[in-house]
Amino acid sequence: MIDPVAVNDIMAAAIAGALIIMFGATYALLFAFSRLRGQRLLMIGAYLAYGLLAVSVAVLARTLNLEGFWQSVTAVMLVGYFVAPRLIWNLCAGTHPPHGDDNPGTHPNPHSASGGTMQ
Amino acid sequence: MSIGTFDSSNLDAGQKVAVKYFSVAIVLFVAQILFGLLAGIQFIAPDFLYNVLDFNVNRMVHINAMIVWMLFGFIGSVYWLVEDESGVPLVGAKLANLNFWIFTTAVVVVVLVYLFVQVGPGTQSSIWLINEGREYIEAPRWADIGIVVCMLIFFYNVAATFMKGKWSGISGVLVLDLVALAGLYLAGMFFTANISMDQYWWWWVIHLWVEATWEVLVGCIMAWGLMKTLGARRKIVTTWLYIEVALMFGSGILGLGHHYFWIGTPEYWFTIGGFFSALEPIPLVAMVVHAVYDSGVHRFRNGNHPALAWLIAHAFGNFFGAGVWGFMHTLPQINLYTHGTQWTASHGHLAFFGAYATIIIAVMYLAVQKWRGGVWMSGDMPGNGWKWKWSFALLNIGVVGMTVALLIAGYEQSFIERALEGSTWAGYFAGQTQPWFIQGMEWRMLFGWVTAAGIVLLVWDLATIGRGETRTAINPAVSGEPATAAA
Repeated sequence: MIDPVAVNDIMAAAIAGALIIMFGATYALLFAFSRLRGQRLLMIGAYLAYGLLAVSVAVLARTLNLEGFWQSVTAVMLVGYFVAPRLIWNLCAGTHPPHGDDNPGTHPNPHSASGGTMQ
Repeated sequence: MSIGTFDSSNLDAGQKVAVKYFSVAIVLFVAQILFGLLAGIQFIAPDFLYNVLDFNVNRMVHINAMIVWMLFGFIGSVYWLVEDESGVPLVGAKLANLNFWIFTTAVVVVVLVYLFVQVGPGTQSSIWLINEGREYIEAPRWADIGIVVCMLIFFYNVAATFMKGKWSGISGVLVLDLVALAGLYLAGMFFTANISMDQYWWWWVIHLWVEATWEVLVGCIMAWGLMKTLGARRKIVTTWLYIEVALMFGSGILGLGHHYFWIGTPEYWFTIGGFFSALEPIPLVAMVVHAVYDSGVHRFRNGNHPALAWLIAHAFGNFFGAGVWGFMHTLPQINLYTHGTQWTASHGHLAFFGAYATIIIAVMYLAVQKWRGGVWMSGDMPGNGWKWKWSFALLNIGVVGMTVALLIAGYEQSFIERALEGSTWAGYFAGQTQPWFIQGMEWRMLFGWVTAAGIVLLVWDLATIGRGETRTAINPAVSGEPATAAA
């Protein structure tokens, strides 16, 4: 059975949950911009955001009294947030062809263009 | 082809059906906000319309109108893109029109019964003719069956059109999703005496419809919409659609478990629900990285500024409404206190608006543009496009304001009613009378009026934008300056 959050920790738990998503997105955002622009400073910011994410996860784990299986969930979550932006970036680079490789919005169907909005 | 006026000759057969669905969707959207306002007033003045239109009726119509206008919006969006995507005329256009009129008439009858009959005796006749009594899917049984039949006809139209034309990644995912759209609704149509079992199946409709089939529908519409508004490449949007479906299978379906915490199901649902709910934000992180990648690598031009603005609102609304507001209270250790409070309503308002309303409004702007002959809807619109900008601002500010106000009220409710008072009746009333709760409801009402002002402007704008315009739209796939259409 789960051990519910203590009354005094309800707000801290909720804020920590929200911050996990916010810092997760900030880490991903700064990571992606750093890769895009090749700026080391942005990558430092990304890792700073990840550090704050880890702190938020720790606060959530403490306030929600997470033990045993639940601690492994938080560990998986931390690892997942760390690697997800890298995997997605590699996926983006792998799935986006170089310029001019294909036509924007081109339909595989030769009978296409029965009325796209912009035509 | 005429430009600057609503002319159905600008539309293909599927799009003619689509604009009918969009028109009803807008009427129901207005109804949703109207009955939301009435219900909001009753939180502040409980005697308001007492024994005439009680809170339970207003709330029911508010939520049912939302579900149905979004359903109409999704159906309209799919009819809008089906010929463009398949390359052939809509199969069964007459049947599609007949289906629209049957569906619309049924919705009108159901709403009239909700408003004027309201309740009946505890017999089968009430379940079949008045109200099934199941929260969010109150529609009487005849209407349930009608919804499934209408969805199957819709499925036939779409699947037969793609079978006659050509398949693509988007159409394949879309057609499979429509099977689930009709099939899952069946789970809400039978009764079991055990309330836990009843709730178990009920959530299949509520959660899986919304977080599985609707999400995938939105993914298909978004993929097509990005090609049309930004000229995004088909190969890329299709790849990401597949990734979204994979992530949905990985987290969205078993994320259902976070609804099974407190309905009497076995304890392993704590584990399943908690774990998969923790995974649900991953697609949102992916979305952030992908958006940055695309904005930096490609230089997009956009031919419909209102539609693009609403697509951007969709990305942010989905992130905050579903991601931040969802994860804030999804794990069982805290959900024990927040489940079913105004905290949930706060999450519901932002998530439904951000994830679904925004994208349907975006497609409506695309539809209006084509209906008026592919008119200019980029910068330098008459009046600097003030109506769409103000409606966009008012609707977003209104919904975000309601969300924050409900969050404050929900926090107080969780704290006083649930945590301190232990979910007793006394606790319930103690929670409802706390100043933070009352003030939260008052602020929610204020932002409700802001939202209402936004919908008035939105309707006005959709009816008038592009009127008299002589310039044709930018084709985002091919950069170019606006052209003045030949009269």
